[in-house]
Amino acid sequence: MALTKKQKNLLFTNLTRAMTLDRMMMRIIRAGRMTGFYHEGGISLAPGVAIGSFLRKEDSLIPHYRAHGIAEMLSKGVDIPSYVAEHMGRETGCCKGRSSYHWSYPEDNMYGSGANLGMPYGLNCGYAFAAAYKGTDLVSLCAFGDGAFQEGRAYEGLSMASAWKLPAIFWCNNNGIAQHTELSNVYPIEDLSRVAAALDIPTMIVDGQDLFACGEAALKSIAHARAGNGPFFVEAKYLRAQEHNVGGLNTSGDAPRSQQLMDEWKEQRDPLKLATQQLLDDGILTHEEIEKIQNDAEAEADEIEAFAEQSPKALPSIEEQLAAVYAPDTAVENK
Amino acid sequence: MSEIRELTFSEAINEAYVEELKRDENVFLFGECIRAGTFPHTAGLVKEFGEKRVLDSPIAEANMAGYALGAAQQGLRPVVDFMYAGFSYYAATEIFLNTSSYYYVHGSQHPVPIVYVGTCGVGRRVGYEHATPVYGTAIHHPGLKVCMPSTPYDAKGLMKAAIRDNNPVFFLWHTTMVAHKGPVPVEEYIVPLGLADVKREGTDVTILTFGLQVSNALTVAETLKHEISVEVVDARSLEPFDMETLLKSVEKTTRLVIVDEDIERAGFAAEISALMMEQGYDLLDAPVKRVCHPNFPVPGGYIDAYTMPTPERIEDAVREVCR
Repeated sequence: MALTKKQKNLLFTNLTRAMTLDRMMMRIIRAGRMTGFYHEGGISLAPGVAIGSFLRKEDSLIPHYRAHGIAEMLSKGVDIPSYVAEHMGRETGCCKGRSSYHWSYPEDNMYGSGANLGMPYGLNCGYAFAAAYKGTDLVSLCAFGDGAFQEGRAYEGLSMASAWKLPAIFWCNNNGIAQHTELSNVYPIEDLSRVAAALDIPTMIVDGQDLFACGEAALKSIAHARAGNGPFFVEAKYLRAQEHNVGGLNTSGDAPRSQQLMDEWKEQRDPLKLATQQLLDDGILTHEEIEKIQNDAEAEADEIEAFAEQSPKALPSIEEQLAAVYAPDTAVENK
Repeated sequence: MSEIRELTFSEAINEAYVEELKRDENVFLFGECIRAGTFPHTAGLVKEFGEKRVLDSPIAEANMAGYALGAAQQGLRPVVDFMYAGFSYYAATEIFLNTSSYYYVHGSQHPVPIVYVGTCGVGRRVGYEHATPVYGTAIHHPGLKVCMPSTPYDAKGLMKAAIRDNNPVFFLWHTTMVAHKGPVPVEEYIVPLGLADVKREGTDVTILTFGLQVSNALTVAETLKHEISVEVVDARSLEPFDMETLLKSVEKTTRLVIVDEDIERAGFAAEISALMMEQGYDLLDAPVKRVCHPNFPVPGGYIDAYTMPTPERIEDAVREVCR
């Protein structure tokens, strides 16, 4: 499925925005202004941009935690300022400052996160089931890493989606390392898509550093599920060129990861650099146009940071929170 | 005057399902072997409502609960049946962490109506996996509601309330009571969550209990009727809990025995004892007494017949607080 110029332009713009916002998030956490964790996106955001750019607003999405899903979310059109404010514990946060790093955008069919890595599979099946139950052609997509794939729930979700031909896309970002544990130390195979294939789910492997290849994979998998052909599994082989999260030791097992190798990746495998070169070579964008996209992204990041920074900290009373635990009971009215 | 029949727990729950499936097309049932049920409460439903709305799940409890959360976030109203509630421990992350917390943590903006169904309870000699009550664990997690009926009437009414509730509700029923019968009116009714029921009035001592133990408490009340006047309060709903009804009862009786089949430590009985100390200390003429499962794992074999609360143990406790 070849991409149009317009689609390439969209992907490039969104990746520029995502990587700019990622740098802003790093600034915030390093300045001690974030309340929880942050898992730097770095050069790992091409898959997220591809996913978010080609789903419909009505499709359900569970992003990968890398860069906290910002790549997926901004590409899907989600309101990012309230997500950043949430990270800073502000009243304007999407979860009213209660969650540290969760999203809550029901209107965009993004309902919330689970930091427990096994959560996406069941949710993805539930969203896809609901889409089919209501007789729509909507799909659901969940993204996860090779670490989350080690959960038994992965097998549970894939088998259910395949048995019931659910319109569910499983997008695996495989960088071969979960925090500090090499996949090869704990998992018997390298290509995780083989597990899905064994369960009769069509699969493909894509270069996760190649923005446009990821875009094509996203289009293909979404089209497959939307046409009623059941689930699809994409495995993006991609790179993590920094520590797992801010403050997490940058080791692989008990040995430091080679800084030299990661520097090489940043130089040679940065998806934005690769995409920039390709767009220039193909004459799709000019240097001036690219510079404008970058400047707009910087302005957007500054505006978002200022919004979050100026929002009051959320410090609701205990009483207010006690009253917020249960949804209003409509059992009697529903009678 | 409405017609009243005798129905089993299973039949009463089945009626609740039929009525709610007809009333709201977003309601669907999803569970382990529910088309041809291990327990008969789902009998015939797939014939009437089709495979779209009555689905056998794979034996994958964690995924079942995650799936239910997803479906509920999308506006459906899943009823998830774990067969034995003990199996739901596999889904502890999904139920006790993610689903219970979802509404509050995400800014109280998007309700997740889900009913988890399972049997539990001591007395079938089947050991801890099938018997261990999950309600003590469940009430510890804000965001969940929890109920357990003692009669088919309450079973039907509570199930209908649970399905219509906008929160996740754990509906537990006692494994030994699946075929117990009781009167159920033909006309529709609901038993709201959060309302206790005084099953027998008395003046000397209150027994607070629920589920199977209501019948043991009533047996004790009858045995002692010429010596001690026992009031039996059926909690029905453990969260929300109707503290008002309990305080009103203890104001009259001044004594409280709490009967709970769960392991004693840090359970429902412990919680209500603490609430009574905080809110009703001045009403009491004797310390609150608990009758629970002793603090060891629920055994199988012949042992469970005397480790669960029995009429004898309950009677001893009543006599102790009335000394």
